[in-house]
Amino acid sequence: MSETKIKPYEKPENIINPNSEFSIEVQNLRKIFRGKKGYDDVIAVDDVSFKVKSGELFGFLGPNGAGKTTVINMLIGLLKPTSGIAIVNGYDIHDGLSHIKELIGVCPQEPSVFKFLTGIENIELFGKLHSMKKAEIKDKTNKLFEILDLSKASRRKTKGYSGGMLRQLNMIIALIHDPKIAFLDEPTVGMDPRARRATWKFIGSLKTKSKTIFLTTHYIEEAEALCDRVAVIDYGKIIEIGAPQDLIKKYEVENLEGVFLKITGRRIMEGV
Amino acid sequence: MNTQRILALMKMELYKILREPAYLFLMILFPAVLTITFGFAFGDPELGMSFNLMAPGLFAYACIFIIMTVAQSFADFREQGLLRRLNTTPMSSTDFMFSNILSNMIISTLQVVIVFVLALLFGFRSNSDIVGILLAFLLMALFSLSSVGLGLITASVSKSAGTATGLSFIFILPQMFFGTFIPITDTTRPIAMFLPSYYATDALTSIFSGASLTSANILIDFAFISIVSIVIVIIGILLFKKSGNK
Repeated sequence: MSETKIKPYEKPENIINPNSEFSIEVQNLRKIFRGKKGYDDVIAVDDVSFKVKSGELFGFLGPNGAGKTTVINMLIGLLKPTSGIAIVNGYDIHDGLSHIKELIGVCPQEPSVFKFLTGIENIELFGKLHSMKKAEIKDKTNKLFEILDLSKASRRKTKGYSGGMLRQLNMIIALIHDPKIAFLDEPTVGMDPRARRATWKFIGSLKTKSKTIFLTTHYIEEAEALCDRVAVIDYGKIIEIGAPQDLIKKYEVENLEGVFLKITGRRIMEGV
Repeated sequence: MNTQRILALMKMELYKILREPAYLFLMILFPAVLTITFGFAFGDPELGMSFNLMAPGLFAYACIFIIMTVAQSFADFREQGLLRRLNTTPMSSTDFMFSNILSNMIISTLQVVIVFVLALLFGFRSNSDIVGILLAFLLMALFSLSSVGLGLITASVSKSAGTATGLSFIFILPQMFFGTFIPITDTTRPIAMFLPSYYATDALTSIFSGASLTSANILIDFAFISIVSIVIVIIGILLFKKSGNK
């Protein structure tokens, strides 16, 4: 799908501030995919605005196809927005991508690892792409592999890894260089409950390291257990934003699923 | 460009070739098997078709298959989301392309060494001195550039690794039949003259026959391969940059 230009991009003035208290600032962000012949255009992200504070664990909660990944892809430079403004750590995504890439770690939804390399070799490669020294990579790799219980498989080619192991390695690669901001796109999909709990614990531990974490998920428990604040997204629009407990209180429901149900009349997991 | 990143990516590329059986066969074993087969079939001068005449074409032939491996590999990386992931790191596309070109040049040199040693065993004799042999190696490295470029062009228009394999034959077959070990006739020459492999084989034939390395024929072939390879690589990089993130 290709994009339709709605209006020419206008560079924001006096908005770029590397010392901002916000790690991510998004204003009226839109992404429209032009439909191929005979098909309608698809508005994947529709006028989305939000801010993520530095050190915050911010969740993007919504059903599949809600636009969560499209927002992430725009913030990390893989997609150009049709219109709107996005600032990551003070840098505009339109012309500050090289700076942004030095600061972020990205864990894509589908595990993307080199199958002919071992777990350690994959991490070494990405560590070096982030200008890390070999000794530093080795030290951090050992720690992360231990935390996520992958040490035994570290020297095996990833071709033989299970789905859950691949997802954990996928996340280690995203975090090996100690990024200031981590984008975790549905990091626990397909993991067994044990691995999922271990991963939640690990993501939770990142909060103490003052990292900003942008997490997308369609798991209610995940969002409730981990996130300081969540934006609930549906059909490309943010329909609610706030701390999980505040939203639950506001709508007088039991959990975030109830919040979603009350606003949209549907369940998040419908169609997942 | 960042040396650490380029070296890390080159290491990854070389591991891919050494660890993936299909790539290992195409890049290393296939040229060897081909030379041995042709050595047994035509190594005997009494058959009337001297192996010495065919050998230069075999060198070029080995490098042509880089088109397929590059196309397959890039399409495969794209299918698996690896190019997108690499694009989220500080690595520049120049780092990525440069590492790929360098690792393929190393492989093509290795291919030429294998073919050269095996050809010697089957009775191939070069009338050139060591400088000529080194020039032949350099020529093959340059020729492999055009193969990398054609591989990138193929990967850009292919939606999957499987399609890339099939489409790569569009560039492989003409070069195979009209520019390498099959003798060129007056009928096939007009086609061959548009193919880099024709000039590579022509230059190698001249070098191995002992012609002066500064002869017009060799210099023209060299110039043609250099220019065409650079142009093809640039086109390949531009096309691939457009489709790489998809």
